[in-house]
Amino acid sequence: MGSALISGIVVGGIYGLIALGIVLVYRGSRVLNLAAIETGTLGVFIAWALIEEAGMPWMVGALAGVAAAALVSFAFERLVVSRMMDAPRLTVAVATIGLGAFLMAFEIKVWTAAPRFLSHPIEGLGPKILGVHVSPTQILSLIIVAALGFGLAWFLRRTDFGLGVLAAAQDPVATQMVGVRLWKVSAFTWTLAGALSAIAMLLVEPSIGGFAAGTLNGLFVPALAAALVGGLTNPSGAFLGGIVMGLIDQVVRQWFLDVTWLPGVGTMAIFAAMLLVLMLRPQGLLGRART
Amino acid sequence: MTDMVQRLRGAGLPVVSKRTRTILIVLAVCVIAPPLLARADILSSFRASVIGYGACFALMAISLNILMGYAGQISLGHAALLGIGAYTSGLLTGRLGWSYLITLPFAAGAGALLAFVAGLPALRLRGLYLAITTIGLVFFAENTLYQLPWQGGGPVMLPRPVAGRFIFLIDGDFLALILVTLVAFWWLDVNLVRSRLGRAFHAIREDEQVAQSFGIDVTRFKLLAFVISGALAGIAGMTYGHLVGTVASDVFDYQFSLLLVTFVVIGGLGSRAGVVIAAFLFGFFPRLLTALKDWDLLVGAFLLIYTLAKHPGGFAGAIREGKEAKAAKAARAGLAGDTDEQAVPALPRTGLAPAAVAADAPPLLEVRDVQVAFGGLRAVDGASLTVPRGRIVGLIGPNGAGKTTLFNAISGFVKMQAGQVIYDGTSIQDLPPHQRAAMGIGRTFQLVGLARNLSVRENLLLAQHSHASYGTWHALAATPRRTREERELDERARAAIASLGFERYADVPVKHLSGGQQRIVEIAAALSTAPEMMMLDEPSAGMAPAVIESLAQRLRELRDDLGRTVLLIEHHIPLVLDVCDEVYVLNLGKVLAHGTPAEIVSDPTVVDAYLGSAGVKA
Repeated sequence: MGSALISGIVVGGIYGLIALGIVLVYRGSRVLNLAAIETGTLGVFIAWALIEEAGMPWMVGALAGVAAAALVSFAFERLVVSRMMDAPRLTVAVATIGLGAFLMAFEIKVWTAAPRFLSHPIEGLGPKILGVHVSPTQILSLIIVAALGFGLAWFLRRTDFGLGVLAAAQDPVATQMVGVRLWKVSAFTWTLAGALSAIAMLLVEPSIGGFAAGTLNGLFVPALAAALVGGLTNPSGAFLGGIVMGLIDQVVRQWFLDVTWLPGVGTMAIFAAMLLVLMLRPQGLLGRART
Repeated sequence: MTDMVQRLRGAGLPVVSKRTRTILIVLAVCVIAPPLLARADILSSFRASVIGYGACFALMAISLNILMGYAGQISLGHAALLGIGAYTSGLLTGRLGWSYLITLPFAAGAGALLAFVAGLPALRLRGLYLAITTIGLVFFAENTLYQLPWQGGGPVMLPRPVAGRFIFLIDGDFLALILVTLVAFWWLDVNLVRSRLGRAFHAIREDEQVAQSFGIDVTRFKLLAFVISGALAGIAGMTYGHLVGTVASDVFDYQFSLLLVTFVVIGGLGSRAGVVIAAFLFGFFPRLLTALKDWDLLVGAFLLIYTLAKHPGGFAGAIREGKEAKAAKAARAGLAGDTDEQAVPALPRTGLAPAAVAADAPPLLEVRDVQVAFGGLRAVDGASLTVPRGRIVGLIGPNGAGKTTLFNAISGFVKMQAGQVIYDGTSIQDLPPHQRAAMGIGRTFQLVGLARNLSVRENLLLAQHSHASYGTWHALAATPRRTREERELDERARAAIASLGFERYADVPVKHLSGGQQRIVEIAAALSTAPEMMMLDEPSAGMAPAVIESLAQRLRELRDDLGRTVLLIEHHIPLVLDVCDEVYVLNLGKVLAHGTPAEIVSDPTVVDAYLGSAGVKA
């Protein structure tokens, strides 16, 4: 159980990163970004090509992957989303399906559909905590997730631009009055979401095993469930939600380890949690009741 | 053709309507043509299955379009509903040897049931929640539902149906069956759109509050749209499964769901023909694009993004935009003389019996100490008012005084923190808005509360939602009962249009009318709900001063001839002083003063807080 708790928190933090990207984009442009996972997957592919094929250090490859994902997301916002200001939000969401399909097709074209394996950033067993080995990758994950979480929280709450990002959805006029340009907010949220997704995917991929175009989409379920815990708009709630979903996922898997008649319990538990959150607290665990 | 019909009529033979005849001819072609062409070696097995795929995609697109296009709710996991249909049919026909036709209702039922369970938590809410839960659903179906050991965990075989000695083994034969299913879907869809269900869906898509003000139970109808969509998805998935022959757990996955959404959006949300054409094209194109080798996905995805950025409304939207631009031009030319209408036309009286008011009757509406807060702001802070039967009560006050919020508290659109609303002797503060509307509280909105994309006639039909009682089956099958009730609604709507003198605009979408005309249609629609009490939120907004005088006359008729009770928010003080029996003045969420118009204008606190020189002028 100790290992389930630790890996739950680690994986949960990663879900939280993806959820954070979804929530920021949703706040900034009221669009559900359905290409969130595939954008990050592209980053993993780039990192894989640089690390495993070109033999570069892990960090270099990873940074290039994150930069690529951020760039794709930024370009999509500039070229497509910003030109669809007046379109129904659903149509923009479908355009993100197009982006996802485009990225998948690109990945298959360049790297084929065969599974690829990305190595751990740091190999080795790692120290023992609660009677289980915590791998260096897990420790690195925790550090990165915590640094990003607290760093972004500070940035969003303590800087003018960050406050502008938080306010843009509710009060565009006030946002412009304090000197924050709306287009910058939108471009920023999309770019950040692309980077966060790639970071999350890079951290989680080594423990999943092989990856190929489209195979990481399952991460959408816990990430969306996490975003729901934050009422879709609350960044800290989304982060907390990520940890909750990570724990549910890992603990339930641990319980059902010997049960063969019920496959896919992790996804099932998260799906159930999703429905439960909507039934009991649709405004999110931290959110205030909306009118 | 016509004289043949005449002759048939003369001979006393039954004559079917033009629509039925078209359906029968199309059906006959679908049944006869593919098997014959296949046997004549014109329709190869390959071509038949390509068309079959296209037709299956069209079935799926029709199913999803009902949910997304009509009711405006998004499913990103529709493939789960297809999958449950295919697996159900696979188990019943493949394992248990049931016949295809007997299995059909079970596949539909499975799809409907899954939609109900997954939709219930999300559809109580407004927003993207269904999109999110359906993503969870499709992964749950893929990882758990299709893998359960009682179905073997592996792929499921779906044998081709057998009818007597007639086996649908030839692809041409099975194509005939698919096409018949498609015609049936089309027919059901047309019936749905023309029923009170279709109108309710449309109203929900446009504005949930407006829908509720017409007495529509928004949660119930959203769920109904998803369940109908799920039942059709079950059948579509089953049909697809029998065409393919084997179904594994990864067939109906998340990507498949996204593909379906793409059909519907590219085809044009809400356009039956648009989504069917888009589905057929998608069915054909992956094969047409093989010339491009494996660049097809890349090119396809790029085209998708490009098309959406250029034409957010899809194919149908692009065509409609062109048409509407022309129609609007023509309408403007035709309506040019009417934009400065001289008077508010007579309000419709059909379906409304004048209500007799006893002198000592208890008040119709009592509002006691209502509090509504948004965050820290108390928009309504302990307001109380009483509306006697058969009176016109005015509610005035400066902007931000909480008038509209109080209206929303009475009709149930905002949550009250404290207080009581008693209507006709019953406490209603815990009832949902549509029930309050059904009890006889009609209202209009500051921003016109109509379905803007529907025509005047359709809006007046929509407003009578609660007056027709036929249910889902009658709507889908277009039974005589539906036809009869719809005819009654239509007669009332036409009568209302006639009394407004709006015959010319009957089929013009409301959004093309002038502000004043929209306001009149809105009041007529609110009246069509046959309310005991009418709550009017700034009816004079957007009307020319000359027209407002006739509005006063209409309001008096509402009270004196029709016996209705009116609660009126108005900024146009002369109108309030002219027609109201009593006036409440609201300021900062509290009742500042109450009395007859004469008392109000001479009340120094009122003059000070609100009226200023306006009171003196009157």
